[in-house]
Amino acid sequence: MLDLLQAILDGVMFGATYALIGIGFTLVFGVMHKINMAYAAASVGGAYCGLLVLVAFKGAPAWAVFLGAFAAGGVLGYLVYLACFHFIPLANPLATLMSTVGMLLLIDEIVVHTTDGMPQNYPAMFDDVMLRAGELSIRGDLLLIFGVGVACMAVLLALLYRTRLGLATRAVSQQPVAAQLCGIRVAQVNAATFVITGLLGGLAGALIGASVGALSPLLTVPLTVKGLIVTVIGGLGSIPGAIVAGLLVGGFENLFQQFRGVTERDLYVMLLLFAFLVFRPGGIFASGAGRD
Amino acid sequence: MKTLATAVAAALAAMALGLPSGAAAQERTVKIAGFGAKSGVVRSFGVNSEAALLAAAEEINKAGGIKLGDGAKGKIAVEFYDDRCNAEEGISVIRRIASADWVVAVGPTCSNVAEPLFGILQKKVEDAGDSGLQMPVFTDVAIKVGLAKISQWAFRNVPNEFTMYSSLFNFVRTEFPDVKSVYGGVEEDFAHSRATWYAVMKNRADANGFKVLGESKWLLNDTNFATQVREMKKADADAIAISAHPFTTCGVLKEMQRQGVKPKVLIGLTSSSSLETLEGCAKQAEGMIIPTSFAPVNPKALAAAKSTSKFKGNADLHSMAAWENVFILKQVMESEKVLAKPDTVAADRRKIRDGLAKLKTTDGLIGVSRRDTDGEAEKPYLFVRAKNGQWTVYHNPL
Repeated sequence: MLDLLQAILDGVMFGATYALIGIGFTLVFGVMHKINMAYAAASVGGAYCGLLVLVAFKGAPAWAVFLGAFAAGGVLGYLVYLACFHFIPLANPLATLMSTVGMLLLIDEIVVHTTDGMPQNYPAMFDDVMLRAGELSIRGDLLLIFGVGVACMAVLLALLYRTRLGLATRAVSQQPVAAQLCGIRVAQVNAATFVITGLLGGLAGALIGASVGALSPLLTVPLTVKGLIVTVIGGLGSIPGAIVAGLLVGGFENLFQQFRGVTERDLYVMLLLFAFLVFRPGGIFASGAGRD
Repeated sequence: MKTLATAVAAALAAMALGLPSGAAAQERTVKIAGFGAKSGVVRSFGVNSEAALLAAAEEINKAGGIKLGDGAKGKIAVEFYDDRCNAEEGISVIRRIASADWVVAVGPTCSNVAEPLFGILQKKVEDAGDSGLQMPVFTDVAIKVGLAKISQWAFRNVPNEFTMYSSLFNFVRTEFPDVKSVYGGVEEDFAHSRATWYAVMKNRADANGFKVLGESKWLLNDTNFATQVREMKKADADAIAISAHPFTTCGVLKEMQRQGVKPKVLIGLTSSSSLETLEGCAKQAEGMIIPTSFAPVNPKALAAAKSTSKFKGNADLHSMAAWENVFILKQVMESEKVLAKPDTVAADRRKIRDGLAKLKTTDGLIGVSRRDTDGEAEKPYLFVRAKNGQWTVYHNPL
């Protein structure tokens, strides 16, 4: 019983990494009603760029690398917007979807060619901290990721509901034509959304690299898949939904692994997704007419 | 006069057109195709193999090239194809190589490519009813046990993991008499690592008197190993053998450090005795013992490693097999009198195949390898241990 509880707890804490990625996916969808398939790849790319801080300043602390990844993520987010959305007719959903798939592959290959596919050691914070609650233990670095996820959610919600940018973003997501008629520059709002999600993505990529201990191009596709699953289960466009779903998916993953082994684990995660799509297609926090 | 002028002009024109002069006719190109994973996450293997092939070819060419069957000299030309560690791509690549004028192919990187690829080669040489490809393939990296016997056109210069791990567990038994039990960690979805744990490590540990307490499993893309390492901790084995490639090996080792799992002996997979492991987790891998068929333990090996690095590759047991392959092929081509002419490609391929099949021993970088009738090699090996961020020779049975 204790093993089971610990496995679920480990999974829930690791699910915080999925939640961070899910927030980015869901935010873009919430604003533009489009899926950015390149989000996880750009997050990992931002994390790789964060390592340049170590190249420039040997022995730099982990937080400096995270800051570098944060900034690089924002730049990458803007580049993804330019390449995959700005010049492509948004009325054609397939065009933007395929362009982001192409961008995912491009970023992946750039990373592989630059690093020869070699994993890169990633600095971490609190990775040697293990908090104990009786017989149960919680990793300090995963608790940090969870905390960052909650903080990001709070900041994003404050941004969306307490700032002019947030007001404009909500207007564009609900009625882009009407928003334009009111003088809101839709392209600027969309670009800002990508920069903001990019900043978050860079930080997410860095924290994920830190929790794994190394960055590798192997991370890109699994994070994309998990991010999409979390986005759908949480509710497309719902930021709190992404957090809850991320933790749920992480927990269920470990639960399935405990009972059915690692080779069947992903099967059951997909079945969980299908169950949500059939019985609750809007996700846990299915929104009404508007979006977060 | 006019006739002489015309003749001189014609001769000059012929020379300009590149018609062979006496000297030029003595040198031809011997085309060796390399192929392996040059993209995707195992790209480093393909990069290193290509570098080793190019370095070996350069060394042979500088020394005069290959002596061909009619006395001419052959300079080696190498081109490396990317099979993306994907079976369909690998088969497509070998068909493309076979349809061109390459006389032999060196590769592939991945065992999941090698197995189906060998399957499309002609199985038995004298079987006229078998329309399989008649192309000699000389593998440098794909190491899963027992693949070369699939076809008589397939040959490998890869270490025999069964022999190496048998020797390693025997060594551990004598060197660490208090080590009685072994627990495994295995990458379930990669052909090499999976086969090596179940068919080799587990088997050999048991055969050497160790109690195998079980194994934890994960996938190549996994990043969370908490449950698996907890199983390891619970098993409390004296030795832990990790049959996984560098990325997940490092992930597991880092989790082991977090959970305070410290076995008396730590054993790794052959492919993890690489720079990748040390760059990912040198501290956590400290003390890990791995059997390998290459280490820079003599001037020849050192020189090969240095030459390979000039082509931006790293020397390890896999890439140095590619180096050895080129020199073995030189020896075979000279003994079988390969001609390397455009109209002798099929005959040259057959000669190379026959020559490789006849070999009983070959000279390797750290010693002599024996060759068996299945086209496999019995290579010399030694044990390396991760120490202070380097792979150092721990035990040299040579």
